[in-house]
Amino acid sequence: MNFALRFIFREMRSSEVITLIVALIISVGTVTSISLFVDRLQLSFEQESANLLAADRLVRSDEPILTAWRQQATDLGLEQASRASFATMIFANNKLQLSQISAVSDTYPLKGSFLVDTQIFAKGFASSQSPQQGQIWLSSRLASLLNVNIGQEVEVGDKKLTVSKYLVLDPGSSTSAFAISPRAVMNVADVAATNVIIPGSRVRYSLMLAGNRDKLNQYETWIQPQLKDGQRWQTPKQKGQRIGQTIDKAESFLLLAGTLAVVLSGVAMALASSRFVKRHLMQVAVLKTLGATPRVLAKLFLLQLLFLFVIGALGGIVGGWLIQEGISSLLSSLMTTTLPEPSVSKLWLGIATGFISLIAFCLPLIIRLIQISPLSVLQPAARVEKNALAIYVVGFIGLYGLMCLYTQGFMLPSIMTLAIGGVGLVVSILGWVMFKLGRLATSGATSGWQIGLASLYRRLTPNLFQLLVFTLIIMLGLILVGIKTSLVSDWQAQLPKDAPNHYLFNVQANQVEGINDISQQLGLTSSSWFPMVRGRITKVNNDRIEKLYPEGKSEPELFEREMNLTWADQVGEGNKVVAGDFHANGISLEQERAKEAGITIGDKLTLNIGGISYTLPVTSIRTVDWGSMRPNFYVIVPKQLLSHYPANFVSSFFIKAGQEQAFYKAMSGYPTVSILNVGDLVKQIQTIIGQLSQAIQLVLLCILAAGALVLIASIGSTLEERREEGALLRVLGARASLVRQALIVEFGFLGLFSGIIAAIGAEASLYGVQTFVFKTEASWHPLLWALGPIIGVLLITSIGVFASRTVLKVPPMLLLRDF
Amino acid sequence: MDNITALQTHNLTHTVTSKTGDLTILKGIDLEIKEGESVAIVGSSGSGKSTLLGLLAGLDRNTSGDITLYNHSLTSLSEEKRALLRGEYVGFIFQSFHLLPSLEAIENVMLPAELKGDKQARQKAERLLEQVGLSHRLTHYPRQLSGGEQQRVAIARAFASEPKILFADEPTGNLDEENGKTIINLLFDLNRSQGTTLIMVTHDNKLASMCDRQLIMSAGQLKEGSL
Ligand SMILES: Nc1ncnc2c1ncn2[C@@H]1O[C@H](COP(=O)(O)OP(=O)(O)O)[C@@H](O)[C@H]1O
Ligand SMILES: [Mg+2]
Repeated sequence: MNFALRFIFREMRSSEVITLIVALIISVGTVTSISLFVDRLQLSFEQESANLLAADRLVRSDEPILTAWRQQATDLGLEQASRASFATMIFANNKLQLSQISAVSDTYPLKGSFLVDTQIFAKGFASSQSPQQGQIWLSSRLASLLNVNIGQEVEVGDKKLTVSKYLVLDPGSSTSAFAISPRAVMNVADVAATNVIIPGSRVRYSLMLAGNRDKLNQYETWIQPQLKDGQRWQTPKQKGQRIGQTIDKAESFLLLAGTLAVVLSGVAMALASSRFVKRHLMQVAVLKTLGATPRVLAKLFLLQLLFLFVIGALGGIVGGWLIQEGISSLLSSLMTTTLPEPSVSKLWLGIATGFISLIAFCLPLIIRLIQISPLSVLQPAARVEKNALAIYVVGFIGLYGLMCLYTQGFMLPSIMTLAIGGVGLVVSILGWVMFKLGRLATSGATSGWQIGLASLYRRLTPNLFQLLVFTLIIMLGLILVGIKTSLVSDWQAQLPKDAPNHYLFNVQANQVEGINDISQQLGLTSSSWFPMVRGRITKVNNDRIEKLYPEGKSEPELFEREMNLTWADQVGEGNKVVAGDFHANGISLEQERAKEAGITIGDKLTLNIGGISYTLPVTSIRTVDWGSMRPNFYVIVPKQLLSHYPANFVSSFFIKAGQEQAFYKAMSGYPTVSILNVGDLVKQIQTIIGQLSQAIQLVLLCILAAGALVLIASIGSTLEERREEGALLRVLGARASLVRQALIVEFGFLGLFSGIIAAIGAEASLYGVQTFVFKTEASWHPLLWALGPIIGVLLITSIGVFASRTVLKVPPMLLLRDF
Repeated sequence: MDNITALQTHNLTHTVTSKTGDLTILKGIDLEIKEGESVAIVGSSGSGKSTLLGLLAGLDRNTSGDITLYNHSLTSLSEEKRALLRGEYVGFIFQSFHLLPSLEAIENVMLPAELKGDKQARQKAERLLEQVGLSHRLTHYPRQLSGGEQQRVAIARAFASEPKILFADEPTGNLDEENGKTIINLLFDLNRSQGTTLIMVTHDNKLASMCDRQLIMSAGQLKEGSL
């Protein structure tokens, strides 16, 4: 129907249709850019975490990997590698050393790479090749303990292996920070010949997988039901949980903020379509008298909507893509790795947003338009006023649905809806009172003040609506500023620029002094030294662990193995006592572990330290900030318990780029000390924080754009009236400057009121968000109280006067013709 | 030809509900109009003329009684069907023109034919605009035309669908005498040349007397009258 198309192109020039399209582009664009950007972050995070895991996915088992498992992986076309980890003695030069050995297949690692070197205690270079048969790589510490060099032989059980490299980092085991034994890597094909693995040996077998995400998921569904105790499916997400949580938190924050842009665009769309409908009511009635059937009209307008949708969605996708591309490339100069390309499949969220918005905000109005009685051409009173409530309900349901889609839940959308409803009620009451007062305070029409204030009250309904919209926009802006500041400073406080990037452990008491000297010479910052003594929980309330968790019943992490105990006079930094008394004579437990083991204050634990048992009550529970990169402990015991044991000490250091070599060299005098470099992890987290702050700025911009659009659209709905009024005033002898003054007063006060109410609302909301959503401590935001009114007055006056500039230009003559 | 009944009503009654209560605008109107006749409806403002005209043209459904338009009972038809009938039989001219502001003059005139899917829409529209003396204003928008010119476009549009019955609601109400005369002449010329039935509401006695029949509306009832 070319008539429909021509109709559309004609309409394209009208301001309502342009508003509709721009609003669509903004909401689709905002959501698209956010979901693409977050997707890239997530992919990059997954890739980096896969490097930590040495694979995309991993099955861990205490028994050898079943052939069926490998077969299934082969059938699905997945890459595979295997690893067996065990502790055993390595023998060389008449020296014997307990070591932790990883025996790996030729394909290992599937992701990431080894760091190896041909120099002892050197920085290492990447190698994606694993040791060949007959070879072994020793960590520098192990090599120096055994006093062997590259090219010499060591014995592992019955098998002689040649040392071919110094191991700096094994990608699959880099995070087991507190391993005591020094490490070595050998080829899995040599294991049988060593004869060290006999029935009953503790060996951890891993089947590592990499490949297509769908296939991996398929594999997961296949294998999960078969897993028994001691067997576990691992994903990169679990491995890098801390960063994962940061990203998740940020994603819901970003999408929530994005929702606000979508809400605002939705309001702009609703305003524009109601104006569109108003302007077309008579036209549709006329078309009906000409014989246009409801079906033809429905087709016509649906086609128009579809056309708008296509333009808006395309524009939004292109815009959103460009924006996230722009941010990413801005960031890439700051980053070590480039972000992976976003998946095209993530575009659906933006498209769905556009579609739902259009349906929710335009369709009901269009339906109403189509239902107009043709008799209204002759008889304006015959216009059927359909129930406006239905229109609001549909719009509301659409928005609510979108919010649920973004946050994947009902909680946050419900809170937001209630908040907006509450604000609406409060704003209406306050606004009514303020407008009324303004009206009472002035009478007459001789100054712009009087006219401006009077018109606030005269156009009560539209002005209350605008007040509400402006208040919401400013409030949301203020909330974002508030959240951003507290969010980013919260993250940065967790991980300052000089966050520790090296752990030192296995340090003997008599080595502490010497290492402190090195640290001082190099000007390093370090945390204090924490003493560590190995111990194991053997009884809970005098019941033996073996009895509580018989064979086959998996025990909580707290009881699973030997762990590091420490003592402390003070509650450490990043630790927070949530129950009990830290200084009481008893055990302090980390909250998550205690919860998992079902232990509360008052329970008695029996600890076995160096063969001697001690029974003590649990006297405090702590939360621990694992993101702090400082040494943290599950179990803290009174000092006197550990004082007669030889303790190992652990500390964390921040070593500036370029200083590593000097530090490693200096540390080669302490071969028994283990050094763990977590710098890459820290850098990764810091990069992500940087990316997230950028993304928040982007969202703020989107919201501002949507807000301005709402302002313009809502002024548009009263524009005709304003023009008529302006002309009338001038017919009656008012100067143009008086009309301008009146406009400035009207919008200025609207802005002032909005700003004040918004500041109150933002402060209240921030309290709620900080306390309940981000679970941080609430604080006052004096900045908002200044920003709110100032921004309100400036923004609304300038946009308002701009949007109604034609009022000043209406020639009074026009009034004599028509409007 | 004189025998064919174009339009017939039987006990036509129309009641509307408004905030202040029910209001019966038309109170049992019986009327028969033959094909080719021209009929003027006069009466004081608010007497229900426009309402009657609208119901006769099938713009709305009456509350009781019957309207028959060329053997189609309007009362029993859905809006969808009535719209099709309007496109088929009816043309309309309004007091305030009601041209679509976003369409050019020619496009306004093409509308009815286009709604019927007529491929000749443009040629027909050009011819009609020529007949109303606006062949030099084809691509002008309504706002670029004076009231008289707009009404001439509206007349061209009304005849574009080759209607059997033309309804006009105070077609000269918004125009000066000069322009009113032009419009009237055009209307009657076209009416005669196309053999259209004309039903017109007017305040202008001279205009009413040009019609074959005059009907007087008062307080919701219709009387045959002469001026
Ligand atoms: N849908 C309606 N709702 C309320 N009142 C109506 C409606 N339609 C018509 N009226 C009233 O009915 C009376 C007749 O209207 P109308 O037919 O326009 O009269 P006329 O065209 O003769 O001036 C008027 O008083 C008008 O206000
Ligand atoms: Mg009338």
